[in-house]
Amino acid sequence: MLSVLNGLSQSLDAYLILSGILFAIGSFGFLARRNAISMLMSIELMLNAVNLAIISFGAFSLSLKVDASVIALIVMAAAAAEATVGLAIVIAIYRNKKTPLVDEYDAMRQ
Amino acid sequence: MSFADAVTLAPFIAAVLAAAAIILVDFALPGRKVPALATAFIGLAITALLVAVTGQSGATAFNGSYRVDALTTFLDVLFIAIAALTIAYAPDYLEERGLPVAEFSAVLVFAMSGAMLIAGSADLLVLFLGLELMVIPGYVLAGYHKTDGFSTEGAIKYFLLGSFSSAIFLFGLAFVWGLTGTTRIDGVSSVLTQIVAGKAALSPALGMGLAFLTTGVAFKIAAVPFHYWTPDAYQGSPTPVTGYLSVGPKIGAFALIIRLFASALGPLAVEWNIVIIVLAALTMTLGNLVALTQDNVKRMLAYSSIAHTGYMLVGFAAFGAGKLEGLEGLLYYGAAYAFMNLGAFGVIAAIQKRPGVTSNLSTFAGLMRREPALGILMALFLLSLTGIPPTAGFFGKFYVILAAVQAGGWVTALALLAVLNAAVAAFYYLRVVVYMFMREPDAEIPVIRHGRLVWVGLAVSTVLTLALGLFPGILLELVNTAAKAIG
Repeated sequence: MLSVLNGLSQSLDAYLILSGILFAIGSFGFLARRNAISMLMSIELMLNAVNLAIISFGAFSLSLKVDASVIALIVMAAAAAEATVGLAIVIAIYRNKKTPLVDEYDAMRQ
Repeated sequence: MSFADAVTLAPFIAAVLAAAAIILVDFALPGRKVPALATAFIGLAITALLVAVTGQSGATAFNGSYRVDALTTFLDVLFIAIAALTIAYAPDYLEERGLPVAEFSAVLVFAMSGAMLIAGSADLLVLFLGLELMVIPGYVLAGYHKTDGFSTEGAIKYFLLGSFSSAIFLFGLAFVWGLTGTTRIDGVSSVLTQIVAGKAALSPALGMGLAFLTTGVAFKIAAVPFHYWTPDAYQGSPTPVTGYLSVGPKIGAFALIIRLFASALGPLAVEWNIVIIVLAALTMTLGNLVALTQDNVKRMLAYSSIAHTGYMLVGFAAFGAGKLEGLEGLLYYGAAYAFMNLGAFGVIAAIQKRPGVTSNLSTFAGLMRREPALGILMALFLLSLTGIPPTAGFFGKFYVILAAVQAGGWVTALALLAVLNAAVAAFYYLRVVVYMFMREPDAEIPVIRHGRLVWVGLAVSTVLTLALGLFPGILLELVNTAAKAIG
């Protein structure tokens, strides 16, 4: 069992598949959850999956090593900016509607 | 950053500084709108001047990750014009609702700087940064009326779908970068050229990465079936913001498509063009059919903006089939759509100046008798959106459809569909005109006085809508040089 895990940790594919699974979990959470905060968390999970993929590419290829760190940092900064604005919007709508459930945001449904 | 880099990037730096200056002016003179607006317009004028001076230079900055070509210059000027017109329409509407004008202008100029970064990027990562810089202020603007349930509801839908699609785009970017080994647009293009020539294999992971990039971009331009956020985000936002959102981020996202598909993924044109053709057909047909059933003019224009995305995609499909005229048509359409749609939203914002006035069709009843000037302008913008000569919208549709006919094959079928759609669209645009000219209002609505800035903005939109319809040659030359920078 341990040797299998050891073998996996040496292959780029294993990390990319893990990143793909995380991304899929994130997208499922985004589509299935009805709470705005949970949807925000799912998006963060998707972005972290992206970062995992970027860092694994960098760890397994010498020529991508420096680029990987830079791209990952930029992704983190962009994700932080997005989360800030997102939480502010969630707070604003919570004050108006008194609920975080997106199903109830249907004032414009026709 | 060397001095040469700073010169190449000068318009972008000026835009960011202008936004910062508006905040500082508002900090020194809180709550006063005239100094803030003056700073905004002076800042935009300086930015435009720098674009004119440094434009079309072919210069690159930061080791080739940012490049100024004719297309960059064309798009930059268009983005500055969109921002300036939006700032002209907004104060009247915002002040009546007690919303600050200075922050609005600052956030809008920040969003504009993001669009400018997309226009000049020669690197996938810069493209992503520009995209984020463009859409994040957009979320703020959509929720700008934070005590209003509709505005925040539109904002959260825009935000959730927007950041979901950003994550999808980024996932695709990570795989394309990891498997091609570069984020430079020409680097990706040369790797793909080798794959197409059969010297290297297209790995499934790279194909998946490209599919994710395409999906992310399709969300951003609101192509069917990735359009669900659009109607609510547009209807909920404060009206001047809706005007901006329907043109600014849309043309910004098309700039992204041109940079990404035409340049980076150019070698795969045969493959992605199938996707573009399907998206174009679905987008214009569904957008138009749903717009037919809307009674709210803002929502109707939201669906019609989806349809216009479809027409622009027709131009892009013609380009994908090898016709440079398709790209020219797309750029012409983008400029024409920006001015006529901003004009239409300018009129709606002016009518809705008094808080509580809805954008329902009934609000427009008897507008011609109440405020003849606004009625005539609205009719002009709606005719232009329909595509009736001699307006900008006619030549926009004309060039796009002409290029599609010349391209042959399935793209020609697309041209036929576009013509049919334009005929359907006439029904819902002209319905508003009928209401304005022939219906009597249910209740007596008092006449409102409008600020001078609104009239200036409407005059500029009108002149440009007519000028692009009467003398298409002026713009045609510009879009021709801009398109040649790509093809």
